Amino acid sequence: MKILTLISPRWWAFRNGFVFGGRRFLIKIVALLAMALGFWAGLYVIFYRVLRYFQGVEEFGDLLAYKLLTMVFLTFFGLLVFSNVIVALSTFFLSQDLGTIHATPVSMGELFAARFLDTLLESSWMVLLFGIPIFTAYGLVYRASGLYYLGLASVMIPFLILAAAIGVTFTMVLVQVFPARRTRDILFLLSILLIILLFFLFRFARPERLVDPDAFASVVNYFRALSTPASLYLPSSWAAEAVWPLLKPSSASSAFYQGFLWMTAMAGVVASTFVAFWVYPEGWTKSQETRSPMAGTLVNLIPEHHRPRRGQSSQILALMGKDLKFFFRDNTQWSQLLLIFALIVLYLYNYSVLPLERAQMPTFYLQNLIAFLNVGLAGFVLASIGVRFVFTAVSSEGFAFWIMQSAPLTIRRLLWSKFLFYLTPLLVLGLILTVASNELLQVAPLMRWLAPLTIFSMVFGITALGIGLGAAFPNFRAENLTQVATGFGGLLYMILAMGFITLVIVLEAGPVYTVFMAQVRNHSLSLFQWLYIGGSLLLAVLVHGAAVWLPMRYGIRKLAAYEG
Amino acid sequence: MIRLENLTKRYQQVTAVDEVSLEVASGEIYGFLGPNGAGKTTTIKMLAGVMRPTSGRIFINGLDLQTNPIEVKSRVGFIPDRPFLYEKLTGLEFMTFMANLYGLNGQGREKRIGQFLELFELAEWGRELVGSYSHGMKQRLIMSAALLHEPRVFIVDEPLVGLDPKGARLIKRIFNRLRDSGLTVFMSTHTMGIAEELCDRIGIIQKGKLVAEGTVTELKELAGQEDPRLESVFLHLTGDEAFGTEEINFIGQ
Repeated sequence: MKILTLISPRWWAFRNGFVFGGRRFLIKIVALLAMALGFWAGLYVIFYRVLRYFQGVEEFGDLLAYKLLTMVFLTFFGLLVFSNVIVALSTFFLSQDLGTIHATPVSMGELFAARFLDTLLESSWMVLLFGIPIFTAYGLVYRASGLYYLGLASVMIPFLILAAAIGVTFTMVLVQVFPARRTRDILFLLSILLIILLFFLFRFARPERLVDPDAFASVVNYFRALSTPASLYLPSSWAAEAVWPLLKPSSASSAFYQGFLWMTAMAGVVASTFVAFWVYPEGWTKSQETRSPMAGTLVNLIPEHHRPRRGQSSQILALMGKDLKFFFRDNTQWSQLLLIFALIVLYLYNYSVLPLERAQMPTFYLQNLIAFLNVGLAGFVLASIGVRFVFTAVSSEGFAFWIMQSAPLTIRRLLWSKFLFYLTPLLVLGLILTVASNELLQVAPLMRWLAPLTIFSMVFGITALGIGLGAAFPNFRAENLTQVATGFGGLLYMILAMGFITLVIVLEAGPVYTVFMAQVRNHSLSLFQWLYIGGSLLLAVLVHGAAVWLPMRYGIRKLAAYEG
Repeated sequence: MIRLENLTKRYQQVTAVDEVSLEVASGEIYGFLGPNGAGKTTTIKMLAGVMRPTSGRIFINGLDLQTNPIEVKSRVGFIPDRPFLYEKLTGLEFMTFMANLYGLNGQGREKRIGQFLELFELAEWGRELVGSYSHGMKQRLIMSAALLHEPRVFIVDEPLVGLDPKGARLIKRIFNRLRDSGLTVFMSTHTMGIAEELCDRIGIIQKGKLVAEGTVTELKELAGQEDPRLESVFLHLTGDEAFGTEEINFIGQ
């Protein structure tokens, strides 16, 4: 019963959200549910269409669907193990309530069971969320019976438990070697590098070729690429082997692999319990050690004359200097720069391999169309970076926000200093994305200057939206900033930023199309067309102004009234 | 130096601070006492400009905090009850940052920062991250940062919580020095001994209302208690004298 007691705070916290959270909490839940449903629908449609397309491919359509299923399970398994390691570090070693719990008469077994359950639930819900639309698409495309859904549940449960057992055991051993707090930092860095590596491997392998047999020298090569067996030592392969016969009746037995999964999962739980009894008490004691001070690491790479000088009285410079030090001393922050760098390389790489010459439309037209869409896409990339870094800028003050509140500093100045701090890197990034991709696409002169100019002006709005909404929806109590970015305010930011980018694109698309068509047809523009272009661009300028002014004003007003 | 006029703070149905009016003169240490949840921290947060009153006014150095927040804050040093700081800055960087924030510049600034770190026995830790400091060290760092810009008014919430006897003695000495140099100190505390030892006048707040005010002697007279200790006076004035502990068995019998 103590196990239930130990996991009850999680349930109570959720219930109290409804009881005390009022209308705002309900709105949040409804918004999150709406987003989840939208996401489900999107993922479902993608998988449904892909699977239907595979079915249309003669001979090896099923093979492709099976291959995709193994890839899905492999990705899920990797994600699950990794997520379990990260969560277990927190639930077993770093959680703030552990000090209190260890002082209570809770046995090692009860504590382990409760924390194992906590880890399992926290790590698995996201994969379940991703999985439901994918597996539903499989079920519907293959017109599977109810047995498929039952079998799927019987596969997923041990699959999730096994990943949790592996993750928890690995964490227990890891903490013997490194202190828990350092381990979290190291793992975070490793995860970033791993994601980058996966991105590159996946992208440079050009998976789109798999659905384009023409790209292979011969059918033999193509079959060889497809029928490379997945490792049978991996639980993800067992899961795929267990699910596939339920979709496509064959001689293979689902029950064998299901049984195998269940037995291994149970053995995994026993093994992780054994390891925990053996090493957890020592690991927990180690995790209590103070972090070693690590002052002045990466910030020392910045040339002295670029660092804010001592003796400068400007508050804005002081604030920006502090933010800079924070950024480079927080491993969870600066290491994401690597991820962004990898994204840029892939982003540009994609443009370099676009097979424009094989398209049905005229290349000139297509190049410029893509260049235009590229502006929107670059805007979305900037907004995604914005939600992680700019939106969280105010919340990054954390519990120390009282310093800002009690200092002779206006909220207006605080927010504009943060705005300036994030504006420059986003401007540089936006310009790199558009200028370089336009170069790769060899677009028309009009787009060469219009695209960077649009992005340049958009960045002001994207940054202001981030700072303003971040100030209006601060979370100074979050244990990490990712939590802030994925909250209600972050969601609102993404929706508004996307809306802003789309609106600007729509307002510019009409005039650009008019000019292009006039050029293609060798016509001069009529007075009405000039008026239309002028009006549309003026409206775009007004939208830009509003995107800067309104959120900043709203953020300043809300944060000035903050009393949390 | 500090004047509160009918200061009130309401949270929906709860009135945390209810029409509190008081005055603290220049060079005076004013102790603000009260049981948990009486409204001490809320009052102090309003005084520091961290929280806005629902109604009433706060004057510091004759300036209305509501209408002149920047001028008032630049003359106030504030220490909250929990020492949350920027953990990723070193002690020295934090002091420099605070100096910049309060517009403290000029040639003597670095020297002053060094002096304060020395005074609060943090000099050898100046280049270490604040995250590696103990609770007491953080408390001392906040105090040195709060005094750096030569405030005229010092507002402190629970100044001695978490300090070892040596640290506590240092703070007491500093408070006496501050009083001698004409600085006004407004502090809340649960430690009766500190209040009795340091404060020129004491105000007792109970359920948001200021229920008693005066010197320690005046409060003792007001309470009319046989027990001369401030603790007994405090418990009498706040009505928390008797706890019904007799009927509870603390050890199984």
